[in-house]
Amino acid sequence: MFNKVKNWISDNPDLSFAILLSICVYAYFGLTNELFPTHRTGFAIMERFAVLGLVGLALTLCIIAGEIDLSIGSNAALAAVITVRFTDSLGAPSALLIALLVSTSIGAIQGYFIAYLRVRAIVLTVGTLMLLRGVALFAAEEKTVMLTDFRVPDFISTKMLWYFSPASLLVILMFIIVGLFMGYTRFGREIYAIGGARKEAIAAGISLKRPMIIVFAISGLCAGLGGGIIGLRSGTAQALGLQYVLLAGTVAAFIGGVSIMGGKGGVIGAAIGTLTVNFLNTGLVFNVTPAFMVQLYLGILLIVVIMFQTGSRVFDENQRRKQILADADNLAKQLTKRKQFLKERPG
Amino acid sequence: MSNSSSVVKQNFIHRLARDYSPLVLIMVAVFIAIFVIGAATAPNFLTVLNIKTILRDAAIVGIMAIGLTFVTLSGNFFLLSMKETAALSIIAFATSMSAGYGFELSFLFTMVIAMAAGAIQGLLIGLGGNPIVVTLGAAGLFFGISSWWSDNLVVSFRRPHGAEWLGSGSFLGLPNITIAFIIIAIFAEFVLRRTSFGRQVYLVGSNRAAGRATGHENLSMAIKVCIIASVCSAFVAIAFSAQVSSAHVNYFSSSFGSSGDMTIMVIATVMVGGNSIMGGYGSSLRSSIGAVFISTVDNMMVLHGYNSGPRVLAVGLMIVFSIMVFALVQRGSRSVE
Repeated sequence: MFNKVKNWISDNPDLSFAILLSICVYAYFGLTNELFPTHRTGFAIMERFAVLGLVGLALTLCIIAGEIDLSIGSNAALAAVITVRFTDSLGAPSALLIALLVSTSIGAIQGYFIAYLRVRAIVLTVGTLMLLRGVALFAAEEKTVMLTDFRVPDFISTKMLWYFSPASLLVILMFIIVGLFMGYTRFGREIYAIGGARKEAIAAGISLKRPMIIVFAISGLCAGLGGGIIGLRSGTAQALGLQYVLLAGTVAAFIGGVSIMGGKGGVIGAAIGTLTVNFLNTGLVFNVTPAFMVQLYLGILLIVVIMFQTGSRVFDENQRRKQILADADNLAKQLTKRKQFLKERPG
Repeated sequence: MSNSSSVVKQNFIHRLARDYSPLVLIMVAVFIAIFVIGAATAPNFLTVLNIKTILRDAAIVGIMAIGLTFVTLSGNFFLLSMKETAALSIIAFATSMSAGYGFELSFLFTMVIAMAAGAIQGLLIGLGGNPIVVTLGAAGLFFGISSWWSDNLVVSFRRPHGAEWLGSGSFLGLPNITIAFIIIAIFAEFVLRRTSFGRQVYLVGSNRAAGRATGHENLSMAIKVCIIASVCSAFVAIAFSAQVSSAHVNYFSSSFGSSGDMTIMVIATVMVGGNSIMGGYGSSLRSSIGAVFISTVDNMMVLHGYNSGPRVLAVGLMIVFSIMVFALVQRGSRSVE
């Protein structure tokens, strides 16, 4: 048993680091605040998870594919505006469906153009960030849109099984589906391939278009669902809101063990990373910390994680360089020996 | 002689046809047509006062964009922390001013803080951290620090404070911030074209391996360019604060100026100007022109009576447009590859 755990840890160093970190954060707040380890707080954390988890999942997938989707906040805001605007006239399910269709197709179109134009995603998505903000302002007519019927917000945050609500159960289902998709289908494996070793993947016959479209479509879907949930839950939506999710989602993805070089990480990591961020967030709120301090901590956390990753990469590279130099030295020595041997050989 | 001129002309058309696909040419033509029609039909567009307003609006974004151009040219994409660096600087400046240290000392103090902020980011980027992720984290950090420092309140200082000349003064009928923009634009262009540092920026940006082989590591380059970008945004922050004699962390957030987020506006300016985001191709002059162009379009739309939605949409369209044109041109021409 112990050996099994040890093997698992050495096989998944990033994931075990994430689990350790999340346990540490939970334990810290649990020990310093007696209200923290109750199921009410657990419910609050899961409610946050419903939105941030989706963003973390979307960014995890993008980073696995070696790209970053900067437009995720704008996409979520657009979905929130659409959902809230149409809920009164069409009912919540169809409004959410429209929003999801819009955000997913926006994602797919982005993915297509990234693959077609062969630009980096950050370049294109910084443009669509602004573009979608404009569209969202249009859709909201530059006002804060509001629900008039508050039965939907009540339903969506009904408590079930102490910890869950319909929203968070839906998100957990989404995580499971995406996890299975990434792990066990060819399309999912292609996404890993174009992230970790793009040139090799293309040489092996994977077209760049399909995985890119799939990744950004899923990313758009997650952003849309997150935006829709947050819009329905609060009953309001702002076109310029939800920009903060990018930082929190990126922190979650990086805690979950993705590498900026792509090809690493997974859905479980995304879930654990988001939970860690949510523990931190909720814990800080419990300890009466102003909201901007949360941003400060998240910023520090992200920089520390990046420093850690970069440092380990630089160290690895140095080791490899030293190894190569040593090998070359050895080779040179052998060559001189051989030359001498040939020279000294009679005849 | 006439023969040679026709050869030149032929060469030009030939090159145009080779480097630019018809799609690109049509896109650019449509774009220019929309611009000209909009300008012709906008009321009060070609008045001296309006042109001054355009230049003034362009100056604030433009100075920051010139700073960011150095980062982009050196192949480090862009900094997502421009707005937050400005917020940190504006709080530092106003706090120092309200404590009565005078303009010169406060200016120096702010610049030192901005340089430190730039150097930290540059160090992390130069060591191999992804610029986007590093500056995203740095943005959160700086915003948190400046909110914490100012207790999320407005920091104000009393007039006369000795900085009015920078904020609201004018020279030869032009606002001083516009003059500063012009001077900085010329200076930056000079640095990029005529000094060895400027050429190194291009070298590291266009070919990192060649840069390393000739002894120009990205580490020192990233630190230098990040400091330049931060100093530029600190300068804008100081000028802005001197004008309104107060400071708040949200001055550069979404409600600022052209209804977009300041950081994205600056990045938009760099991109619309036609700089390659992958580095090595472009100039600070392009960014300055981009700033004037965006502010002209914005001004035109305001004169036509558009709300913020269409205006933000227009800026977004311009960015996406410039990305697409750039990518298509790069695909079409073999010389760039």
